Amino acid sequence: MLYVTVRRPDAPTRIHRAICSEYLRMRTHPSGPRQRFVLPTALAMLALCVGQARLQAAEVAAAPFKAPYVPSSDAEPLQEVPSVADPAVRQMRSLRAAQAAAPRDLPAAIRLADAYVDYSRQVGDAHYAGYAEAVIAPWMSEPRTPAVALVTQATILQYRHQFDDARALLDAALRSDPRNGQAWLTLATLDMVQGDYPAAGKDCAQVAGSAGFDWGLACSANLRSYLGQARQSLALLTQAAAASAGAPAGYQAWVQGLIAETAERLGDWPLAEKHHIQALTLLPQDNFLLVAYADFLLDRGRPREVLTLLADHAQSDTAFLRIALAHSLLHSADAPRYTWIMAARFEALTLRGSDYFGREQARFALQLQHDPQTALDMAQRNWQVQRAPWDARVLLEAALAADQPQAAADVLEFLRKTKLEDPVILPLASQLRERLRQFAGGAP
Amino acid sequence: MKRAWLAALLIASTAHAHSASDAYLTLTVGEAAAGGVIHGQWDIALRDLDFVLQLDDDGDGRLTWGEVRRHLADVERYAFAHLRVEAGTRGACTIKPTSRMIDGHADGTYAALFFDVLCPRAAAATLDYDMFFAIDPSHRGIVVIHGGNDVATAVLSPQHRRIDLPR
Repeated sequence: MLYVTVRRPDAPTRIHRAICSEYLRMRTHPSGPRQRFVLPTALAMLALCVGQARLQAAEVAAAPFKAPYVPSSDAEPLQEVPSVADPAVRQMRSLRAAQAAAPRDLPAAIRLADAYVDYSRQVGDAHYAGYAEAVIAPWMSEPRTPAVALVTQATILQYRHQFDDARALLDAALRSDPRNGQAWLTLATLDMVQGDYPAAGKDCAQVAGSAGFDWGLACSANLRSYLGQARQSLALLTQAAAASAGAPAGYQAWVQGLIAETAERLGDWPLAEKHHIQALTLLPQDNFLLVAYADFLLDRGRPREVLTLLADHAQSDTAFLRIALAHSLLHSADAPRYTWIMAARFEALTLRGSDYFGREQARFALQLQHDPQTALDMAQRNWQVQRAPWDARVLLEAALAADQPQAAADVLEFLRKTKLEDPVILPLASQLRERLRQFAGGAP
Repeated sequence: MKRAWLAALLIASTAHAHSASDAYLTLTVGEAAAGGVIHGQWDIALRDLDFVLQLDDDGDGRLTWGEVRRHLADVERYAFAHLRVEAGTRGACTIKPTSRMIDGHADGTYAALFFDVLCPRAAAATLDYDMFFAIDPSHRGIVVIHGGNDVATAVLSPQHRRIDLPR
């Protein structure tokens, strides 16, 4: 066990420096021993180094370790926070006041919780999902929870990738309110994320019946792009976009994002980019849309544009991964430090039990830690929970890199059955099938 | 067309969630601390404190040291109302704040509250924590305890609010 001296607030000790340097070395040179320390010490190291290092993205040459301090100037900026200049923030404040004034009023609580969840998704900040959960908690513990509360809680659980728990709540909500459009839509999304396309098809039909034709159309169109019907999907989505001229910006941005995704599935890069940009024009700060466009740019070998795109979004863990990937592709001098920070952020998430970034962790292990075996393990575990095209892709990439084609068998079968067309995924699948044939034929 | 439903849709393929709320509690107990006093450092995210206490006086979306400094007494009062150390049948220990600083973490800037815990001698102590749980059940208190040659860790959550402190 590592001996650690008492912390003093004035200056870091030599031993603390040594611990943090060792931790930094472990994280940026993964070819070294990775599991050298027993878990409690690793957690202590994490707490010491993550807790004490000032790791600002803007710093270039500074040492990674700094003790707590008292700022010398009142004007020194410390932290960015949501500002009342943002209308979403003002709306949340007024809904919060209304809910505080009427704490037993369910509609007021749902309005506030939904605003928190919406903001959470938009900025990629899970804190707000937690706030939403607290707001509806009193109703969740009632014996007969109202359907609206069940659906909001299901949305929060889905956000955290707790899909089975979310599904249970949605089923309960639909038992008491079979025409709840939001529940059907959430269920359709869940089924698509988990790769149960027949169920998703039925859900989309129910969406049309309960939420209206437009929602149902977009839902079905979305589904088709996973079934090898990208052309039809594109035609339907274009129709949906044309019909949505008066709809809220969020809905239009969603449709534009789906068109971008479908265009990528067809290998039409200019069309995809046009619609990524259109989506972001409608919802400029949306974390989900930003990350989708960043992935597109990374695939097209345009990492510098990723840095510009995500410059103000480093607080989001998923955006930060794309920033780190871009630095790596650019072979920038900062790349190791971004990798180190990403590792620290993933470990902090694991430490607290928020382990729902399997896909991102697999990509990180493969591309930034150059550890195909760990990447494959993570990708396989992720595949048990979710089966979107990206989840298939990370597993195939890891299986190829680790030269374990048999590990991809499940995904290859899934692709064969669902007939997904994708210009990145299908070549990976072909390569793996070829490797499997070679293995079977005894070829070297 | 309900805007709130978009929350379901736009999560379609992935949850793009920034890490949720963490606070870090570092305690030094036993021989490593002089005279039976427990030394503590509690790092709390300024973002989390701003949500509860509204530290951004000029509303510009940026917390400066001046704004934080002016609210530190409130921060301390709020924080220590959610932390308790007890020495079993010998009753509550006294928590004495000693200093307040700023600490940088990978995901933002934190307030660092230093404190001493004075317990009746030779008593086994327990720590109870419920910071932020009532407004954010996803908050976690990450505890690191230094005692002699050992380091122990724990994660405090709404389901696990109490830890025993080693002698």
